[in-house]
Amino acid sequence: MSQGTDRHTEARVVALRHEGEDAAARLPALMAEADRIAATVAQGVHGRRRSGIGETFWQYRHHRPEDGRAAVDWRQSAKSDQLFVRQNEWEAANTVALWRDGSPSMQFASSRNLASKADRAAVCLIALAALLTQGGERVSVLGESAISRTGALGLERVSRRLVTGPGAATAVEAPHVSRFTRIVLASDFLDPPETWQARLSRFATMESNGVLLRIVDPAEEDFPYKGRTRFEAPGSGETLLFGRAEEARKAYRERWQEQGERLTALARQFGWTLITHRTDRPATSAVLSLYKTLAEDV
Amino acid sequence: MFALGPLSFAAPLALIGLLALPALWFLLRATPPAPRRAIFPPLRLLFGAPDDAETPQHAPWWLIMFRLLIAALIIIALARPVWTPPSVENETRPALIVLDNGWASAAAWTDLQREANRLIDEADRDGRPVALATTAETGQAHPTLRLADADTARRLLESAQPQAWPTRRGNLADRINTARETGEIDGELAVTWLSDGLASEGDARLARALSQLGSLTVLEPDSGRAPLAIAPPETAADGFTVEVRRAPTDLPRTVGITAIGNDGRALARRDVTIEANAGSATANISLPLDLRNRIASLRLDGSSSSAAVHLLGDSWQRPRVGLIELTNDEGQPLLSDLHYVESALTDRAELIRGHLDDLLAAEPAILVMTDAARSDDERIQDFVNEGGVLIRFAGPRLAARGDDLLPVDLRQGGRLFGGALNWEDPQTLADFPAGSPFAGLPVDRSATVDRQVLAQPGSATPDKVWARLEDGTPLVTAERRARGWIVLFHVTASPEWSDLPLTGLFPRMMQRLMGLAQGGSVAAPANGSWVLDRALDAEGQLANAPASARPIPANAFGSAQPDPVTPPGLYRLGPASSALNVIGTNTRIEALPRDLPGAVFAGLDGPRPIRFDAGLLAAALILLALDVLVALLLAGRLANLRIGGMAAAVLLGLAALPGAPQARAQDTSSEDAFAMEAALALRFAYVRTGDAALDRRSEAGLTGLGREITRRSAIEPDAPMGVDIDTDPLIFFPMIYWPVTEDARPLDPETAERVSAYLQSGGLIVFDTQDADVAMLRAGAPHPGLIAVLESIDVPPLAQIPPDHVLTRAFYLLQEFPGRYSGNPVWVEANPNGASRDGTSGVIIGAHDWASAWAQGERGEAMAPVEGGERQRELAIRFGVNIAMYALTGNYKADQVHVPDILERLGQ
Repeated sequence: MSQGTDRHTEARVVALRHEGEDAAARLPALMAEADRIAATVAQGVHGRRRSGIGETFWQYRHHRPEDGRAAVDWRQSAKSDQLFVRQNEWEAANTVALWRDGSPSMQFASSRNLASKADRAAVCLIALAALLTQGGERVSVLGESAISRTGALGLERVSRRLVTGPGAATAVEAPHVSRFTRIVLASDFLDPPETWQARLSRFATMESNGVLLRIVDPAEEDFPYKGRTRFEAPGSGETLLFGRAEEARKAYRERWQEQGERLTALARQFGWTLITHRTDRPATSAVLSLYKTLAEDV
Repeated sequence: MFALGPLSFAAPLALIGLLALPALWFLLRATPPAPRRAIFPPLRLLFGAPDDAETPQHAPWWLIMFRLLIAALIIIALARPVWTPPSVENETRPALIVLDNGWASAAAWTDLQREANRLIDEADRDGRPVALATTAETGQAHPTLRLADADTARRLLESAQPQAWPTRRGNLADRINTARETGEIDGELAVTWLSDGLASEGDARLARALSQLGSLTVLEPDSGRAPLAIAPPETAADGFTVEVRRAPTDLPRTVGITAIGNDGRALARRDVTIEANAGSATANISLPLDLRNRIASLRLDGSSSSAAVHLLGDSWQRPRVGLIELTNDEGQPLLSDLHYVESALTDRAELIRGHLDDLLAAEPAILVMTDAARSDDERIQDFVNEGGVLIRFAGPRLAARGDDLLPVDLRQGGRLFGGALNWEDPQTLADFPAGSPFAGLPVDRSATVDRQVLAQPGSATPDKVWARLEDGTPLVTAERRARGWIVLFHVTASPEWSDLPLTGLFPRMMQRLMGLAQGGSVAAPANGSWVLDRALDAEGQLANAPASARPIPANAFGSAQPDPVTPPGLYRLGPASSALNVIGTNTRIEALPRDLPGAVFAGLDGPRPIRFDAGLLAAALILLALDVLVALLLAGRLANLRIGGMAAAVLLGLAALPGAPQARAQDTSSEDAFAMEAALALRFAYVRTGDAALDRRSEAGLTGLGREITRRSAIEPDAPMGVDIDTDPLIFFPMIYWPVTEDARPLDPETAERVSAYLQSGGLIVFDTQDADVAMLRAGAPHPGLIAVLESIDVPPLAQIPPDHVLTRAFYLLQEFPGRYSGNPVWVEANPNGASRDGTSGVIIGAHDWASAWAQGERGEAMAPVEGGERQRELAIRFGVNIAMYALTGNYKADQVHVPDILERLGQ
């Protein structure tokens, strides 16, 4: 039984991963025209102006006893009576932390033909991760591990976590991120704006900010319901019975509008960018916006 | 029973349920439909949205009506409604029911019986007395005709059976008149005559007698159930013809005639259609003599009456008669003896003419030897001893000298009467003696005998003499020899010595003699009686003889008519058997005349009670199923069902309908689609092997080749198609590429036939085993898959492509035919000239894996490496172009017209 479930999960990971890479694969063509972005893609590794792990020479320093024999740079040492150690510049890549909301409401898809919000979020994030790792950046998944990864293997592990990870809200409320890390939060942001304000302020203390990817199902925005309808909230089991759903449409649309505006304001307040993506649109458009936004300041 | 006019209910209490309908109305109104269920993540935003959820929502009024209708249907169905048509006007007179129960009633008997029952029931209900009379004799005394209560009439009706013989309506008329005189029947009666619809002799008398009793209504079965009868068959040269008769109606009718053998097997079957308004139709059934002789009866399929069966006795069987031909022709065929014998027997026997040797080889049952053909051959002796019948005719030669093959000793010289120098008058025939096979034949007094051969006195004992002249001299003598017979006519078979061959008596005598042939016994003797062996019952089945049957004296058999004393069936007299049938050659079948005195005609199929309960319940069930759909639709669940599933369900439903025309239409349309796709453009095809990689390679190969051909020549093939060799039609493709794997299975016979037909019609198949690289490892053993495939196809002898073959110059000049590999032989038909394909080979067989060499990707890049590099790939493509040219132009390039061009280019 568990094996069967595993295999199912595995298949889903692979499917979404391919979808994400497909979405990413179309981007280079789009970006060929955007020189600025292309230039950014070219160099992912940034010198840190200090010695560390890297390939570029930084300085020679005197040998210290704790360095051991192997650390001696004999060529330089032979020029004088002192022993020298060769140090390289510390080169490090930017880290982008990704988070996909795993709350029950994200599993919603209003139609069989549409992807669920969680899947669409995972696809967008995997595509983004693929682009970032191509550019040499490091990606990590919030709440899974603090270690950021890069390369094909790193992409593989990140994809897996994006698809199967719990996406718990605690990962956002108590984030383990280093300072200045770029964050991408993919969610439907249906929790009250106050909640999100609290969460974002926590990132602000770490001087991290990034992009809010708001995934919206068309039914949530359009409210196409009519007649006697019993609405159920996923997860909570709360229900609400409407005799004539169409009569609630106007009020709902206003509230939805208001919710969007408050989110925008919230993002602006904390220096984040809000990208709204409907699941009936192709994922590529969201990935492009995401990438552009990130590339501007990486 | 609770009745509303003609509508009555068997369970009227169930109608009380209708009172519950208004309650149901309120119940349905009060119950709102189930709400749609919608998962909605931003539920929080909906809280407090304006809504009038408190207003109770009703089910739509049409849905309530719909459900009430269902309930009403079920309630009414449970009350079991019956629609009884209004019965005839109030009848107060006693009823007399006259029921035809001759053979013609058998087909419609249940209907007649039901109608009679209904009439009795009606009378019973009104308390009127009833009388029932039947028109056919039953072999027993008829019960006294008297008005009695309904139960008596019912008992009479139950004991009445259709009989195997015709009705005797006149007899019933007599009985009715007697009953009136004796007072058994008195006063006004309502007479109903349930007739079988056929005319017979006493119709008018019966109608008159009945109409004098009161009002007469004649009911006839509808034309679809009109009885059919089968007339005696008549032999034809190659079989026999049968006539099916009926009373003419305005409906055509098709019926099958089956000839059944002695052992009960069906020997022949033929459908015959009687046109509308026609009274008969004839079927010709051709059957070899051997089979024809075995026929014991003819039956009409699906018709169960004694007239639908014709039994055949001994006389039916046609013996094979050999006429010994003369060595030298006499030159006057119409005066020759054999001509008269032949004319006499032509319809009654299978005649063979020939010399003795040929005749004996044909194993005839009877040999006819005229005087001119006389011979003492020992083989004739043997023939007679082994049971053959030898019929001899006298003549000048026999008069001069007798021989051994004679029944009596003959006096030399013969006898001449009535000549100019003779005072004796020509003699006429005497009545045939009782023991003779000719007994009973009427003697034709106009036949005179001028000359005859005479038997030695004393040798012609009375048992040997079968016919005599008036003066007592034997005319026909016969003798049993071992198991056979020798019969001697003391006159010639031609009219030279007597007038006998010119009379109608002669063929009848000859026919009697044919009876000797079967079983070697004498035909039926004239004395004795025919005893019923197996009787034909009213349903047309052979049954035991009824108690009423009596033997028929032999001389009365010919005039016997089927009736209770002489029922139809098979009769026996000694070893001979003969059949007495209901329908004779002259029996006429006609509809009951309409001008019967005092009669009012009506159809048997009057209105009947109709029951609705099943139909109503079925309708309610269908509506219930619809209601489920409607409920699902209203609750929004229907959208959750997959559209495909719905479509499949609907299709299944449609397919379950009788006939399922849609399903078939789809099949043909897909077949058509394939044919259209294949035929509307020039396409090469490859055989799908089921190995995906191999099929892809074949397709890529033909695609690449097609591209090259388009580039290089005037042929512009469209994309290649894969064919399933077992199912797809091949005829559209000029060339089929067939990669053969080692594990290829033999073709099934049907497929092999189609492939052979494709090759015969000019198709070209390129068999490629694709294994030239490893072919040498088989050490000369044939490719197992190729052997399996080719064995089932009709492939002529093969040869390697000769240097002057058209394939070497169809487009490019080539002498090697490489593909991905090279160096292996390539085979074509060795000698294709005989085929209908105008000298082109239908197969090209090789192992060079041409498809791989031709294969191109989407952008025209080669897909597989070629052993000999690009040069070899070019050669492979050139060979491919040549194959395509060869497939399309055949031996065009073999034409000598091209020789100068080719020589010139070869010279370069």
